Amino acid sequence: MGLRWYHFTAWGLFAIGLALLPEIVSKGTLRTFIFANYLVIFAISWDLLSGRTGYISFGHPFLIGIGAYTSAILTKRFGIDVELAIPIAVIVTMIGGLIVLLPALRIRGSYFALVTLAFMELMYQLVQVIRPDLTGGTRGMSGIQTLTRGAVNGFYFSSFLMFVIAISSWFLLRTRIGTALTAIGLNESAVEGSGLSVTKLKMFAFMASAFVAGLGGAFYVHYLGSLAPRALFDINFVFTIIVAVLIGGASTIIGPIIGALFLTFLLEYLRPYLPGAERYFIYGGIALLLYMYQPKGIYALITSGWQMLQEKSVK
Amino acid sequence: MLQILIQGMLLSGLYALIAVGFTLIFSIGRILNLGYGAYLMLGGYIYFWASQSIGLPKLVAVGMAMIFGVLMGIMKFQLIVKPLKGNHVAIEISTLILAVVLQAGVVFVFGDSSKILLPIVNGVVYVADAPVTYNMLIATVSSWVILLSLYTFIRTTDIGRAMQAVSMDTKGAAICGIEPDRVNMVTWALSGGLGALGGVFFASYTQLAPSMWVGPLIISVAVVIVGGIGSIIGTLIVAHIVGFMEVIVVSVFAPELRGVFTMGLIILVLVLRPQGLFGREEL
Repeated sequence: MGLRWYHFTAWGLFAIGLALLPEIVSKGTLRTFIFANYLVIFAISWDLLSGRTGYISFGHPFLIGIGAYTSAILTKRFGIDVELAIPIAVIVTMIGGLIVLLPALRIRGSYFALVTLAFMELMYQLVQVIRPDLTGGTRGMSGIQTLTRGAVNGFYFSSFLMFVIAISSWFLLRTRIGTALTAIGLNESAVEGSGLSVTKLKMFAFMASAFVAGLGGAFYVHYLGSLAPRALFDINFVFTIIVAVLIGGASTIIGPIIGALFLTFLLEYLRPYLPGAERYFIYGGIALLLYMYQPKGIYALITSGWQMLQEKSVK
Repeated sequence: MLQILIQGMLLSGLYALIAVGFTLIFSIGRILNLGYGAYLMLGGYIYFWASQSIGLPKLVAVGMAMIFGVLMGIMKFQLIVKPLKGNHVAIEISTLILAVVLQAGVVFVFGDSSKILLPIVNGVVYVADAPVTYNMLIATVSSWVILLSLYTFIRTTDIGRAMQAVSMDTKGAAICGIEPDRVNMVTWALSGGLGALGGVFFASYTQLAPSMWVGPLIISVAVVIVGGIGSIIGTLIVAHIVGFMEVIVVSVFAPELRGVFTMGLIILVLVLRPQGLFGREEL
């Protein structure tokens, strides 16, 4: 798998940094970190599906929403324990992942992106119409059981979740499966020609992505304690997830972490100057410029900068 | 029954007008311009600003909206589409990002709340007890006029025939001495102008809101995907399928289900018949 000592050192330092953070920063900043952590989880989930295989999903909230809604409905309407509701939500989300997989067996590229967008919009409209007594209709739900109290607990909890998901996806993508998934993104028929089952590989990627999305969605809703269809199945939410991955660097795991942190804090620091949705103007502008200039994201900028430094020092 | 027919005709005419600009771009180069809805949003807002804030004559305001749309189209082509050199997914992602940026820009300038646009033409006529606003009537009639003149433009003029050639085979067209870049730019400009015009009518049909670009985008996507053709006549046909389906769903089943069938149709057609109902054709 090409593991080196500095990989472990880097992950270890990252974990220590996360553990020490509440000692350093204020509670307000910690709350921002919690949101960043959940965005990292969603971004990793998107990256697992789209970053490697090239099947761009514009409807990722479809999966996140299934996880969030299932867990919220089970705990609030049926009084099932959270410990049981979240695993069920994850399984249901993985079934949702199979639904997304179906079109991917036949179409790719732009058309797949559009189907996922249609899935999300369909979900948004259906959630409001079908059984509003369960889903809460247009207004959504509130008063959902929360798992943690206070910023510090919430931060440790979400950081732990994010760290586990990040490091396991990182390991996963360094295995031969990860390489095969990258190959699908480059040339699908070549992968098929080398005797690998493309369908199985795609199914694996979609299941892994749905697993992470369901986990993230369910825990997120139990952190917030409420959910609203318009905030969840929103094209701005898709945009935030995709931009977090692309700005950081797709298919690197470290990229989405950098991207999500960068974006959440950019939005947060813009808040005093621009209170409303205007912030997306600067945020999207930066994302667009960066994407046009370096589609591989900040991670690629850092690595190329590092290489240039090394070359200079050798000379 | 008659009411469904009339409402369906009116809505379909509006949808055809909205979708035709999107179709143009799709037929040339098979690019899905996901920022297309932004033309409609900006067109509507420019019209609102010119006619209701400054008080210019309505026709001048429509013209300003269209000119703005044309400029937007040209800038989008020069700054985003050309540098990305036919990388479809990258173009789609960056146009989508651009649409969100523009939405934020509109919030910045005009505020978050939705605005009611005064009808472009006042008055109501009753056809079989069904109220039909002149506004919708004008939108439908101008949609037909625009589509037919666009059809003639593409069939008869030199630049139109060059567009046809590029949509058939870009390299072949280049060998024949057509500059694909120039033709593409004209197409993007046309698409922007048509989008802005569609936006003025769409905004007066619903209302003006910063997030109004998503709905028409999905309608345009549905029309292009379900038809599977980048042709103008095809757009007209499929716009009527989608429009009538929506009207029937709203009046027979429930208004909340309005978009459900459109989404379902997109998914079904893409999964079962990715080439579209009518197969591919040129313009």
